[in-house]
Amino acid sequence: MMQEKADLMYGSDIAAPVLSIGAVSKRFGSITVLQDCSLDVAEGEIVTLLGASGCGKTTLLRCIAGFWDAEQGAIEIDGRNVSGMPVNRRPVGVVFQSYALFPHLTVARNVGYGLRMRGVSRSEIEARVAEALDTVSLAEFADRYPAQLSGGQQQRVAVARVLVLQPRVLLLDEPFSALDAKLRGAMQVELRQLIKRLGLTAIFVTHDQEEALTMSDRIAVMRAGQIEQVAAPDTVFDHPSTAYVADFIGTSNFWDAEAGNGTVALPDGQTAQTDLSGKVQVMTRPHNLRVAPEGTSPWRGTVSFHRTVGALIEYHVDMPDGTTIQVAAMRQERASPVQAGAAVSLSVIDPSYCAVYPI
Amino acid sequence: MTEAAFSQPASKASLSEQVLDKLLSGRGIWPAVPAIIVLSVVAVIPFVILLSLGFSDIVVSRGAIVSQTFSLSHLTNALTDPLYWTTFQRSLTLAINTTVLCLLFGYPVAYLFLIGGKWTRRLILILTIAPLLTSGIVRTYAWLVILGGRGVVNSTLMSLGLIDQPLRIMNTHWAVLIGMVQIHLPVMILPLIAVMSRHEGGLFEASANLGASRLGTLRTVILPLSAPGIGTGAALVFTLSYTTFVVPQLLGGGNYLNAATMIYEQVVFSLEWSKGSVSSLILMVTCLIVLVVIAMITNLFTRWTKGRDA
Repeated sequence: MMQEKADLMYGSDIAAPVLSIGAVSKRFGSITVLQDCSLDVAEGEIVTLLGASGCGKTTLLRCIAGFWDAEQGAIEIDGRNVSGMPVNRRPVGVVFQSYALFPHLTVARNVGYGLRMRGVSRSEIEARVAEALDTVSLAEFADRYPAQLSGGQQQRVAVARVLVLQPRVLLLDEPFSALDAKLRGAMQVELRQLIKRLGLTAIFVTHDQEEALTMSDRIAVMRAGQIEQVAAPDTVFDHPSTAYVADFIGTSNFWDAEAGNGTVALPDGQTAQTDLSGKVQVMTRPHNLRVAPEGTSPWRGTVSFHRTVGALIEYHVDMPDGTTIQVAAMRQERASPVQAGAAVSLSVIDPSYCAVYPI
Repeated sequence: MTEAAFSQPASKASLSEQVLDKLLSGRGIWPAVPAIIVLSVVAVIPFVILLSLGFSDIVVSRGAIVSQTFSLSHLTNALTDPLYWTTFQRSLTLAINTTVLCLLFGYPVAYLFLIGGKWTRRLILILTIAPLLTSGIVRTYAWLVILGGRGVVNSTLMSLGLIDQPLRIMNTHWAVLIGMVQIHLPVMILPLIAVMSRHEGGLFEASANLGASRLGTLRTVILPLSAPGIGTGAALVFTLSYTTFVVPQLLGGGNYLNAATMIYEQVVFSLEWSKGSVSSLILMVTCLIVLVVIAMITNLFTRWTKGRDA
């Protein structure tokens, strides 16, 4: 259902997808690393494969690039099955995690490498390399060697080196992991804007949810070789389709409840809609909860910890059953936060943002 | 004040402790001191003695030098003697052939190592290193069994009916060359592998992704990046095979004269120490010249490939 919604938003049912991954499976010996992965990526769309290490996201990327071949399923680019097509014939550009720049070639020769391998004329190479270096603002570094560049500059060379070939699909394998935290944020925004400006279709692999939220039009959350949910960042965050996704992305509060007749009762007395019945798990985000003076709702607990993070106050509220509920509130400068040890009541702000999962 | 408190223990230390501390500090010339001492005793002093023997007329009585006078006659004799020229030329040709063949046979092995999986790599390493665990003499003797008149090669060829008479391989320069290549191959392969595996596999995936064929990747990425390994391997193999004694002596059957076997005969059989000294000197100087040439070629090759992938 989420998938359809996203497709409507991004129009992948209007134009044919640039990249179409159909029920791809891959095994290494007895270990299944990819199982029935399906994903369509529309023209100009940035889709992130997000998951913990070992979830198969890099394997899927390498199958698209052709470094590995999927055992089952088809990978199509512009409607053409590329399975079995050699790596060097695929219209796919990869930005490697380590950038993999050729240490013996200057920046300009690194960027021109693919064009030379395609037998493009010398004058055209010169013009296109200059244009590509200009695009990533590295024109004045053309004659340097990769070792003489900073991490951020190296990354831009790696990007320019594939951009110059005008690939149909751009694959980025954790391109920010080698950068320090401060640079990372700036480069994320810059790279997203660059990809959007050039109208490239991109698949981006990361284990960092913030990166995924920054970079993507849609996020595909992967787990144990399967795609759990594909949707826009907001949708993944607000309406995670499984408990795993909810737990993996952002902070989440879970508790058990009993559902029936299309609803589930929330501990503060409100009700949330659900198709499930019987024992269920309810999840809500910290910012969908409110800390109120004791007695305002039947959902009681004791504040055990609070901290101020910029504009937010985070509370940890211990429940009588031993669990801890996290609440995030906007900070109001005048009012002091509820102190640790205080008895409080919790209430859900919007019950429709409570997700219900089977146990 | 704090500084004084910290520097205090050093002043109490004994001399040996102070020296040890300097050695371990890793500063200046100190870390090299043990090596300098060892090298002076085992290399520099013997070398100076050798030099002095080559440039003097000596009178030996009962195994000891009783008189020594400066003379250039041994050097001029050597340089005007055609035997020297042919012998050194033979050594040089043998060493260059060995080096080139080792490179031709070794490079594909190193390439296999580079693109191979875990088990391929292990197998190559084991097969490369295992021969080094036995002595060169043993390995050379093994060739006697293989190449001899009734050896494996000849008996196989004869039983296949390809030849009527056993081929005479032993005691020819072919036997020497075969032995030399086999003995020195690991010395070529190991530096190649070391240099190649310094670069992560991502580079070769990157070149493929950018449109290079396997041959293109080999030509534009692997070959340039392995140039230092080629240089090191070539220098090692050349030095070892130019100065080798065992292989020519055993597989050449005593009538294959190269520089080392000539020096051996001069010193051990003719007891002409001065002649042997001059020969050693010529061997060393010519070897150094070739090493410099190899270094220059490697350098040129590296620079050439940097601008050549078009």
